[in-house]
Amino acid sequence: MLPAAAPGTPRRALKAVAVYVVLLVGAALTLLPFVFSVTTAFTSPTQFAREGAASVPNPVTLVNIGELFAGGHSFGRALGVTVAMTVVLLVGQLCFSIMAAYAFARIEFPGRSILFWAYLSGLMVPPVVLVVPLYLMMVELGLRNTFWGLVLPFLFGSPYAIFLLREYFRTIPRDLVDAARIDGAGHFRIMTGIVVPLSRPIIVTLALITVVTQWNSFLWPLVVTTGETWGVITVATASLQSQYTSNWTLVMAATTIALVPLAVVFLIFQKHIVRSITITGFK
Amino acid sequence: MPGVSDTVKPAVSRQPRMRPSRVPGRRRRRDTTTAYTLLAPSLFGFAAFLLFPILVVVWLSFHHWDLLSTPTWAGADNYGTVLGDAAFLNSLAVTAVFVCLVIPVQTAFGLVAASFLTRGLPCSAVFRVIYVLPWISAPLALGIVWKWILAPTNGLLNTLIGERVEWLTSPALALPSVAAVVVWTNVGYVTLFFVAGMLGIPQHIIDAARIDGAGPIALFWRIKLPLLRPTMFFVLVTSVISVFQLFDQIYALTKGGPHAVTDSGTLGYTDVVAMRLYTEAFSTFNVGKAGVIAVILLGLLVLITLAQQLYFRKRTTYDLS
Repeated sequence: MLPAAAPGTPRRALKAVAVYVVLLVGAALTLLPFVFSVTTAFTSPTQFAREGAASVPNPVTLVNIGELFAGGHSFGRALGVTVAMTVVLLVGQLCFSIMAAYAFARIEFPGRSILFWAYLSGLMVPPVVLVVPLYLMMVELGLRNTFWGLVLPFLFGSPYAIFLLREYFRTIPRDLVDAARIDGAGHFRIMTGIVVPLSRPIIVTLALITVVTQWNSFLWPLVVTTGETWGVITVATASLQSQYTSNWTLVMAATTIALVPLAVVFLIFQKHIVRSITITGFK
Repeated sequence: MPGVSDTVKPAVSRQPRMRPSRVPGRRRRRDTTTAYTLLAPSLFGFAAFLLFPILVVVWLSFHHWDLLSTPTWAGADNYGTVLGDAAFLNSLAVTAVFVCLVIPVQTAFGLVAASFLTRGLPCSAVFRVIYVLPWISAPLALGIVWKWILAPTNGLLNTLIGERVEWLTSPALALPSVAAVVVWTNVGYVTLFFVAGMLGIPQHIIDAARIDGAGPIALFWRIKLPLLRPTMFFVLVTSVISVFQLFDQIYALTKGGPHAVTDSGTLGYTDVVAMRLYTEAFSTFNVGKAGVIAVILLGLLVLITLAQQLYFRKRTTYDLS
């Protein structure tokens, strides 16, 4: 290994170019599956059959997307169910987690540490383990293949969200809260008027994590729903693929619809999401 | 998630606790009521959809049940069956092979990417964002995109190389192909942590090493890598845990196949533990066996997490001595 060259030499510039080449190849490999999903979705089935994979759509056609939404594949419904599920879980998880985290962070009460310890242990339980018993419970409650069956088990907040929020709530200066208490504010006023507004960064982070997780969720919806009535977009995409095994333009239209909305959200909030992944470890 | 506490914990030291004796009794009672009112929904969710299901799983593992007839007590029968079941042992082995293939490769790629992204070159942030895109996208949908890319007849890859290769259906290639897709998905996530870890290394240490004549390679192996140990450990443990739960990509790409018929039954070349659990519960309706698999999986992952907890309790900061 030669010692590093003096600054400003062509060698150094060459090195930077080499680094960029590697980074660009990496970026291309990362993006190409997304790009090909989109271009194939806008290629007509006839052109795809004639020219094979990797053809540039000419002309750009909405035939596949149209087929997906109007051709009896009920993708409009799947999209609606996914949005509804994501919104309901977002609101439920945020509200209930904030309430619980406030109690843990700001109120002294008997049983606090043991309960918090129990919640922390809950973090160790992998979701796959719970799928079978949760399914049996939903069957027993008559909620299999209903919207409530889809959302109920995850509606009441997650130990993980509660843990993150509590850590953040504890950083809010005690003086602010005490001042409000002296002015006669109760816990509810303090929570909604002081703690929540001051915790916006962590709440936005959690909101983004929840949206990403729920939009992408597959195993639980696969298990608890059957058929098209309550099928979410991932499940609909999987069943479309197994039905139309080589109709790739149609299947890529489905994956595009599953991927692109979230990719757009990601690009809009990229700074926030990148930071929150490193802060939270995500999930 | 352990390790998280180290990053999230406020810089301000712990505030003095309110001493219970100073709080008037009536207010304390009111506080308790308020606290439990606020906690009620999440306590209900915790008890009903986390604790209770775990009890159910344990209960199931001791019963014979096909979801139709009445469950009957099985004692340890299911445990015996599962531990002697070639399909289950195969799924453990397949999962272990996935761990051994995916973890080293994605760690190596992540380290290289991170060391390139921390040189202060323009546009580093843009690359970081691009690399992490697969990780936040639906694994199922990406799995299906890759199923097309790797399809034998009109797939993208075979079209480009002009040859018919059975990426996902030949016994030799199926597992490596799926592992490659998993690596592709995870690299950006791993990179993010290594970037954060490398940026956390104090500049004066790097400067000192440079003055002592360390070149970039020595700098990486002798300085950066040892100082990255906590990050490395965190990334390795979370990656192992996530590979143990691999399901969506497997479902999209191979559904556990291709299969080989052997004397001890049909075995899948990519049949990971989570896939086995799913098949046992929802295809063969052998709920008792599925319960045993879930209990074993839970035990394994709890052990891994506890090992990580212990490690982090001992070592929370960079070891600069």
